[in-house]
Amino acid sequence: MSSKINHHHHHHRFNTQIFPPPCPHLAEFRARNGSKPFRALQDCLRVKPPGGRAAIRRDPSEVPRCGACGESARPRLYACLACAAISCHAPPGPSHAAAHATSMPPGHEIAVDVDRAEIFCCACRDQVYDRDFDAAVVLSQTATLKSATIQSAKPENLRKRRRVDYRPWSPDIRDRVLMETGSSPLENGSDLPRGLRGLNNLGNTCFMNSVLQALLHTPPLRNYFLSDRHNRYYCKKKNGVSNSNAGGKRNVGTADGHGNKNARLCLACDMDAMFSAVFSGDRKPYSPAKFLYSWWQHASNLASYEQQDAHEFFISMLDGIHENVEKDRHKPHSQGHGDCCIAHRVFSGILRSDVMCMTCGFTSTTYDPCVDISLDLEPHQGGSSKSVSTKTHHSCNGEVDGMNPGQNCGISTLMGCLDRFTRPERLGADQKFFCQQCQVRQESLKQMSIRKLPLVSCFHIKRFEHSSIRKMSRKVDRYLQFPFSLDMTPYLSSSILRNRFGNRIFPFDGDEPDASNEMSSEFELFAVVTHTGKLDAGHYVTYLRLSNQWYKCDDAWVTQVNENIVRAAQGYMMFYVQKMLYYKASENRAVS
Amino acid sequence: MSGPNDDNMSPHTQLSSHFFGDLLDSIIVDVASECHRIAKLGLDRNLEEEEEELRLSTQARVRAADPSNSGEANSKYVVDIFGQTHPPVANEIFECMNCGRSIMAGRFAPHLEKCMGKGRKARLKATRSSTAAQNRYSRGSPVSTYSPYSNSSSTNRLSNGTPGVAGEEYSNGTLEEP
Repeated sequence: MSSKINHHHHHHRFNTQIFPPPCPHLAEFRARNGSKPFRALQDCLRVKPPGGRAAIRRDPSEVPRCGACGESARPRLYACLACAAISCHAPPGPSHAAAHATSMPPGHEIAVDVDRAEIFCCACRDQVYDRDFDAAVVLSQTATLKSATIQSAKPENLRKRRRVDYRPWSPDIRDRVLMETGSSPLENGSDLPRGLRGLNNLGNTCFMNSVLQALLHTPPLRNYFLSDRHNRYYCKKKNGVSNSNAGGKRNVGTADGHGNKNARLCLACDMDAMFSAVFSGDRKPYSPAKFLYSWWQHASNLASYEQQDAHEFFISMLDGIHENVEKDRHKPHSQGHGDCCIAHRVFSGILRSDVMCMTCGFTSTTYDPCVDISLDLEPHQGGSSKSVSTKTHHSCNGEVDGMNPGQNCGISTLMGCLDRFTRPERLGADQKFFCQQCQVRQESLKQMSIRKLPLVSCFHIKRFEHSSIRKMSRKVDRYLQFPFSLDMTPYLSSSILRNRFGNRIFPFDGDEPDASNEMSSEFELFAVVTHTGKLDAGHYVTYLRLSNQWYKCDDAWVTQVNENIVRAAQGYMMFYVQKMLYYKASENRAVS
Repeated sequence: MSGPNDDNMSPHTQLSSHFFGDLLDSIIVDVASECHRIAKLGLDRNLEEEEEELRLSTQARVRAADPSNSGEANSKYVVDIFGQTHPPVANEIFECMNCGRSIMAGRFAPHLEKCMGKGRKARLKATRSSTAAQNRYSRGSPVSTYSPYSNSSSTNRLSNGTPGVAGEEYSNGTLEEP
């Protein structure tokens, strides 16, 4: 199915959707009748099962027949919106629907497919689309469902901050003088990007180095620290720590010996020191010793000299930054908004989970913040692992024509994993969910989607396989294809919901007029953390993309590599950043 | 038994075929109608881009598997991008921020573990250090807060290795001399 055609049409784009202009007959019909006929149809909309497909029936037991030939078994039967006459349309045979339109006075061209609730223009002989009709269908579908949103973190507050235009800024004379008296420009002797610097392995710490390299080059995080948004000297001073070593030495800590820690633990300060060091222009490998020390104090259960997991470190680290900043300035603690700390501002998104009772259609929705997405690899390679959903016959989700490239070739792909992550999943007999409406445990359908995308998406691949038979675990080395450019639109709540209701034109959860989703669903890959070796004995390496050039960061060794090496590598964590950043009006307090 | 259009099918079979044909036609129209809507509303995924990415990956893997390539991924390093070389064990020396002793970078973690009283061996011997008060959560719970759907058990983890050349494996926990 080619998608070429649409991209050249100049249609009005509404939240990445195209709203096609009506054909002249539909336009005429609308002009003459308004949206009244569509609303009148609502009484005839029959939705079965709850929330499922809508059909048009004047009374529930009606068997529609073509007025011209009496046939009821035709795949396409259309009811004229002007006079309710039903006609069939069965190319290459005669089209009684078209005949009806021509034989009647003008105004009988528009009809509705009685089985699919789709509008058809009998003159153009094509399916057409109308916003008001779609709204009527969705409303009748949702009327058959009751739903509840659990969890107070319903992201209403997201809409309060309107988007503002980017305003470029340059320093004026006074700014320049201030900058020049207080500093000296860094020299960058070579063409090589700033901030590229090896990290010494301190003893089994490549799990930490690999994640740090990715974070040091995470654009919003890098910008935050390099813009002095967390000044380590000021932070320590504010916290009443007297520090005789505050002169930029690496080992900022207490002057005296044995574990008497005056220095208040602050991972953000250590990050700040690391950014300064790594971007200083010094290319000798940096030893993140102070960072390790601080992190081990924060995450004492993980503090040991042994091989560890990079993803676990990543989560722990973000938590560490959050913990410290949270105590300042009465910031909101909830992470979904990302207003609490820079870690969440950058990485936190919101996931939506819908659980629908298969008996009555009652849907329970929850929203949860997340800082990354952990994805399972498909159970066996090349196997089509789509679960058959009886709930929705709209098997879209990008696989409507079976053209998902990954599944054709039998390769696991990141998008394939995301498809699986957002597919409707049947919670079977052993996982029954308590339905509030039925007041009993019922079989349900669960579906995840992304309500709010973070600035930076981190995907973690669960390369772990546990065999209950052999009672052992092993690493899954299977190759996973990941794109350099990623469009997350199909996984948004608005897309998933829209698909669930037959892809109707309707503002679904997440569709906002000031669309912060618009164009900010496109992401670019900038860092890949790879793992080679076995479950308990292996090695982490990070590939960084700077100015469209790829670099390999293997502890102290930084080398340049061809992008093919990266494409062929075994990805464990992939970091994507939004291509376009939009600014929202800040509230009166200083935005962190 | 035979009808006018019989071609070796009984009326029963003909009827079944007829119904099957109707059902099949209906399903085909279902799919066509859905695809039509998706295409017209611009909801289809950009399959061309996805296929291009897939093609590039396949090509890349072929090239990577080709032994005649420089095999950058697994070869030993001579110099890094800045023209520097580095020993297998990092030999920068700095002061431990816990005890003040001078430690070599590549041995800092094992030193710190004992110095802070962390780790299995240290815990078996010594009394608890004051930093134990900071022990905030056990393995698994932070993960469940921030990524509730991921498996946070400690078994779902990949461990890292010791420094050195990529691709080589080291046994659990020990820092081996080259």
